[in-house]
Amino acid sequence: MLRHLFKLIWNKKGAHSLLIIEIWASFMVLFGVLSLIVFNVSNYVEPIGFEYQNVWNVDLASNQDTVEVGGKLERILQRIRSYQNVESASRMSSNTPFSANQMNNSITYKKTSALADHYNTDTDFSKTIDLPMLTGRWYNETDLVSKFIPIVINKKLQEKLFLDENPLGKVIRVDEKVSYKVVGTVDKFKAKGEFMSDNPAMFQMIQKDDSWNSNILIKTKPGTDANFEARLVKDIATMLPGWGIEVSYLTESRKNRHNLTLVPVSIFLIISGFLLTNVALGLFGILNLSIARRKNEIGLRRAMGATEGKVTGQFLGEIWVLATLSMVVGLVFSVQFPLLNVFDIASSIYVTAMIAAVIIIFLIVTLCAWYPSRQASRIHPAVALHEE
Amino acid sequence: MIKLQNVEKVYRTSSIETLALNNINLDVKKGEFVSIMGPSGCGKSTLLNIIGLLDAPSKGIIEIDGRKVERFNDKEIAPLRNKMLGFIFQSFHLINDLSVIDNVEIPLLYRSTNAKQRRELAEEALEKVGLANRMKHFPKQLSGGQKQRVAIARAIVGKPEIILADEPTGNLDSAMGNEIINILQSLNEDGATIVMVTHDDAMAKRTHRLIRLFDGTQVL
Ligand SMILES: Nc1ncnc2c1ncn2[C@@H]1O[C@H](COP(=O)(O)OP(=O)(O)OP(=O)(O)O)[C@@H](O)[C@H]1O
Ligand SMILES: [Mg+2]
Repeated sequence: MLRHLFKLIWNKKGAHSLLIIEIWASFMVLFGVLSLIVFNVSNYVEPIGFEYQNVWNVDLASNQDTVEVGGKLERILQRIRSYQNVESASRMSSNTPFSANQMNNSITYKKTSALADHYNTDTDFSKTIDLPMLTGRWYNETDLVSKFIPIVINKKLQEKLFLDENPLGKVIRVDEKVSYKVVGTVDKFKAKGEFMSDNPAMFQMIQKDDSWNSNILIKTKPGTDANFEARLVKDIATMLPGWGIEVSYLTESRKNRHNLTLVPVSIFLIISGFLLTNVALGLFGILNLSIARRKNEIGLRRAMGATEGKVTGQFLGEIWVLATLSMVVGLVFSVQFPLLNVFDIASSIYVTAMIAAVIIIFLIVTLCAWYPSRQASRIHPAVALHEE
Repeated sequence: MIKLQNVEKVYRTSSIETLALNNINLDVKKGEFVSIMGPSGCGKSTLLNIIGLLDAPSKGIIEIDGRKVERFNDKEIAPLRNKMLGFIFQSFHLINDLSVIDNVEIPLLYRSTNAKQRRELAEEALEKVGLANRMKHFPKQLSGGQKQRVAIARAIVGKPEIILADEPTGNLDSAMGNEIINILQSLNEDGATIVMVTHDDAMAKRTHRLIRLFDGTQVL
């Protein structure tokens, strides 16, 4: 029967080419959409690696003040740490968790280079956001006397730079004056939230008298409310006249960040949903028409002993063969994405998207072909043969 | 072989009711070659369709090879059509997208024969109708007579005991028509029971028995 189907399809290849192109195009659209979804979902299920509940971000701007900025920042940090409501506080570069700011550097060890997100933090950072150590330790005051700048790297960066070597104690030369020394590793730090992929990242210790990194993360005790926020802002304003002070809750920033991912993805999803619905309707129309045109054939096959089920099966079989052909072509195209590593996304994401797209296309063509096939197979053979 | 008792067929549409067959009683013996004649619209095709189980009668009993066909259940009559009956139509009804041999193989697709057997049986049937040299052709590349011979090959490929032909020569000139009747006659001599609708007296004379219909009623 399959051979019979192939012949039937092959002899009508002209009429079928348009259908094949249509199914192929829908497959490609679906593959794209699903890759995006699978990518985001697989990121989402990976933990972000740190704790943001009860953490506030105080963004300070020195504005016109240029006098002894580093010392002032240090005094503010000490003041903040002295509050009852504060568990821990830590200075950080402006690329705070869930913010829009980004900083990355290429970092090279023994000729292996990797692009890593770069964060400047102080000794209390891992405590403030509960970033657990994997190996080694977080940098501390004793590191200040070393001639190397202490850094902590995440697992991703470790894998890229050091492969199987133990990274602890390794020195990475940046230029004549600056060298890093790895003192510890952490697992994950997905600073942009759940939808971010687990990028390579490194944390560099903020030096004494640093006047650049003017964000302070505060881990407050549970139950701390806006009253404390108001008091905090007032106190800082008194200490630093003329400075800009902005307090935000990481829980809020996270929501905003998610919307930035979810809104475009949702719009994309809705558009492709419409597109696929259109394709399905078009397919339904084409199949309905082409099956209706073949009433004679249906009558004839019934007269020769085909059951209703066999006739339905034949039409479904034909569209499955066509869909399979289209998707073989589609797979040749889509497999280029992982092969050429177009977007630096794991191959498994593409493979999952391909499998899902194949299943969905089969479902769509089956749904579209089933109803007209079923209808057509039910016409009385005498009637079907009568219609010229 | 074929027995009809008090068969009646009424076509009902929303506005009109046509009595196409009225109290038909028929008994065709095994090995008989019977022709049906009558003016246009008298119910010949309707009768043939009912004999061929393509259409259900409104009333009456049909017996094929001693088997009463009462319930027109798809799963029960499809194998009966496939194994017992072979159809030949006035307008051939070949599938244009399939080659001659693939057309002939169609009835065998609906029973358990493998590809090799199908090919052999189809070649054999085409040889019988003298078209062994046209197997790879497509219907569009054939003359009317050749098409009808393909249709005959298709009707006999499954070796049915009964062949039903609805004006098999209606679309052909007399020479071609004669050729077709010759083939049918030799099939009959090989044992097939044949019922043929025709408009041509000369053709009818070459059969064993003539049934005349007038306005849905059997008059001879
Ligand atoms: N599907 C149908 N619905 C309604 N009426 C029908 C249908 N098929 C046939 N008829 C009617 O039944 C009658 C018999 O039709 P039938 O086709 O059997 O005639 P026929 O003897 O084969 O005619 P012809 O020699 O022209 O082929 C006609 O009056 C026709 O109008
Ligand atoms: Mg007729």
